[in-house]
Amino acid sequence: MLWGVQGISVVVVIMMAPLVLGITQIVKARLQGRRGPSLWWGYWVLAKTWGKETTVPEYSSWIFRVAPSISLAAMVLVAATIPWAGRVPTPWPHDLLTLFFLLALERFWVGLAGLDSAGTFGGLGSSRITTLGAGIEPALFAAFGVLWAVSGCTTISTVVGHLSLLPWGMAAVSYGLVMLAELGRLPIDNVDTHLELTMMHEATVLEYNGRLLAENQAAIAVKYTAMLGLGWVWLSPSLESPWITAVLHLSEIMVTAAIVGGIESRFAKLRYFQIPTYLAMASGLGLLAFYLMMTGGLN
Amino acid sequence: MLTYGIVTIGLGASLAASHRVFSQYLMLGLSLGLLALAIVALWDFQSIHLWSPYFQMTPLRAWFLLVVGIVSTMAAWYRVGYQQHNQVFTGFWLPWFVLAMAAVILSQTVWVFMTAWEIMAATSFLLVVSHHEEPGVIKAGYIYLVMSQISATAILAGLLLMAASLHSMDFSLWTARARFLPWGTKSGVFALLTLGFAIKSGIIPFHVWLPRAHPVAPAPVSSLMSGAMIKLGVFGIVQFLLMDLGATALVWPIVLLVLGAVSSLLGVLYALMEHDLKRLLAYHSIENVGIIFLGLGVMGVGIDLHHPQLAVVGLVAALFHTLNHALYKSQLFLAAGAVEQHTGTLDAEHLGGLIRTIPGVALGFLLGSMAISALPPFNGFVSEWLTFRGLLSLATGFRGLWAASAMGLALVLATTSALAGMCFVKASGVTFLGQPRRPVAQIPLGRSITAPILGLALISLALGVFPDPVVRVMGSIDPAASYHAVALLLPLKTTLVAVLLGIAVVALVLLARPSQVREVPRWACGGDATTAMQFSSSSMTKAIRTTFAVIYRPHRQLTRIGENSRDFPERLVYKGGTTPTWERYLYRPGYQMAWWLSKSTARIQAGPVRLYLTYLLVAVGMMLLVLH
Repeated sequence: MLWGVQGISVVVVIMMAPLVLGITQIVKARLQGRRGPSLWWGYWVLAKTWGKETTVPEYSSWIFRVAPSISLAAMVLVAATIPWAGRVPTPWPHDLLTLFFLLALERFWVGLAGLDSAGTFGGLGSSRITTLGAGIEPALFAAFGVLWAVSGCTTISTVVGHLSLLPWGMAAVSYGLVMLAELGRLPIDNVDTHLELTMMHEATVLEYNGRLLAENQAAIAVKYTAMLGLGWVWLSPSLESPWITAVLHLSEIMVTAAIVGGIESRFAKLRYFQIPTYLAMASGLGLLAFYLMMTGGLN
Repeated sequence: MLTYGIVTIGLGASLAASHRVFSQYLMLGLSLGLLALAIVALWDFQSIHLWSPYFQMTPLRAWFLLVVGIVSTMAAWYRVGYQQHNQVFTGFWLPWFVLAMAAVILSQTVWVFMTAWEIMAATSFLLVVSHHEEPGVIKAGYIYLVMSQISATAILAGLLLMAASLHSMDFSLWTARARFLPWGTKSGVFALLTLGFAIKSGIIPFHVWLPRAHPVAPAPVSSLMSGAMIKLGVFGIVQFLLMDLGATALVWPIVLLVLGAVSSLLGVLYALMEHDLKRLLAYHSIENVGIIFLGLGVMGVGIDLHHPQLAVVGLVAALFHTLNHALYKSQLFLAAGAVEQHTGTLDAEHLGGLIRTIPGVALGFLLGSMAISALPPFNGFVSEWLTFRGLLSLATGFRGLWAASAMGLALVLATTSALAGMCFVKASGVTFLGQPRRPVAQIPLGRSITAPILGLALISLALGVFPDPVVRVMGSIDPAASYHAVALLLPLKTTLVAVLLGIAVVALVLLARPSQVREVPRWACGGDATTAMQFSSSSMTKAIRTTFAVIYRPHRQLTRIGENSRDFPERLVYKGGTTPTWERYLYRPGYQMAWWLSKSTARIQAGPVRLYLTYLLVAVGMMLLVLH
């Protein structure tokens, strides 16, 4: 049965990814006093982009054409690695470090593709996202500090029931901060901007078009959904029945998508050179939660 | 028997070096012989009988012999197609260098070990200065020679201290008795040997020779030095300090952990600022040895706390990373050598777009970059995963501040691996992708240059997809540990991840392949696109330079040229750089002190004959006084 739950959940997560992006857009629009797009906006954008002509910039190589497939594959695997039902069938990978390095794999290829486009903005974007990555990776590690403290191993499991509210809250805030940075959301990066000088992830995919761009957009959507869900998988309780757990986690994603929309309309973008401070804060919070757990003061 | 055979082949290779092709194939034969010996020994080490009591085989030694064997085989293969000056000179010393490394690994007494070690140091110096007619090469070689002699002195002192306390020069007796030495002696040995082996491995702050020696050496030599030679420092630490000495009251493992953390982080940070491909790779060697030292530190803590599982994770992580680093680093050095052969330069600021002219080398460099950045499904990922796992076990095994510090080490490692990923996006992106930044030569390369690079990539990939058998072999190195070793990898399931990733990528590439693709000009805000608008090696890392300004202490100078240059400059000249901290604040004063000392000595020495007679009389008088 676990096979079924995990398989169906992964498929659902991938299928609903554009919808989740749409929810964030709608909430953002409503809070800003606009009507916003329809719920199916994400699917419509994907279909439209897929149907367009594919162009590649001069001087680009096969790297530019393969990179979107690799990032989408890595993100699908990230979604597959998360135990949506709280647990997975034995031979299935659900290792957190693997997930981190799959994110690094995506970053590596997006960065390469940016440089392969031979333009200014591609290089600018890949410089920025890789610099950001250097802060995100340790911060992700630190955010999961209480998970290491509780389970002592690297598999993804829930921490609820093993710790009190304060370290839970610290871990949740820490994870939230890192997640926004990894997803390229405000206050780190503005997904809606197309001002060349301020964009980060958008800059790396600036030269993409047609099917290749659609793949990139799909990768962003799947990553968004998976990372929102990952937070709930380890920070919310896991119930007896795997079906109910999976349904619960998947519906929690929708709620979080709305919350992110709220955050996005509330905060402005940080200055680029303040981002290290932001990420250091996230890591510090995670490390502190871990320290408090290990002193035994908060159990 | 085998020893005699190997020595004879080596001698033959050297004597035949005047004939180029013959010497190359003999070198290949010698390396394959070592490789075969290592594999047989890993299968069943008791079946190997070397020249006792001078040489002996153990599983640990077989492991390091394997590292030397693979790297030297590939370097020998690569040399078939590699053009360089002084081909005969390099061809003569290369077999001696490889033989000396094998002898260091297999030696059984202090004298054999030190002799082999010094032959290794001397031959590697000669190989570094292969292109001695070029400017700067001899100076780089001398810096390397001085550092390696300091290292050899410290190692000799440490080994003699151990030999004097145990009344034996025989390493097999050390294994049995050394763990019962008093704490003071152990500390002395530990300090001296750690210093000596850390210099040889290029641990910061003893790293200054590495980024100087590698760029000037021919590519096969760099790949051997970085892939194999610096690992012998790791071998020494595992063999003498961790396995022989045993528990040391936790101080020394912590020293190893701190050295490892500092080297890995600073190594990658310095690498990011380099534009010369080989210097960049040399700094990455420092980083990777740092990661290996983190594994060794975990092992040391495990031994000291009598926690066998921790010791096994540390050992397996360190040894696996040793092999992995040897594979992908020699691959990257060989690829860098191919780039130099192809274009005549290694400066990334001048390169670009090489993926169109040398696609095979570009693919090799790219795969090596993925492996060294610890991306799945390559081998670097598995060994870094093991190191992380060791550090996490360390963190959760302690309480309070100790736990937080161990967690801090894991965060340092996470930062390091992310920065390494960035550095290799930069290195492979700027060198191989985009448009050429300057017009450079495009000399065609032979197939025998590309084949070993891709061969190494294939081995890296295979080890990443199927790590279990390798880990099982490593488990047998520490006899107490064979039970746990494979169980370590249980949550990883790299084979499944690799297969799924492969299927997904292939399916998506096929699915998204458009029926026709049109090439269009790049977006240049409506203007004409030029070469100069691409990001360069230094602009890629500008933000890192600003963020870590405390470490780099960057300086820049902007000169305005032309009439009314203050407000309307016709041309701007920009010069920027970072401060070489260790050289300026540690090595420069040390060098000046040594210089001052020798000058002061010269004052009493360079006198007339009468002065020397006075010294003689005073000395005799003092001797008589003392003896009286």
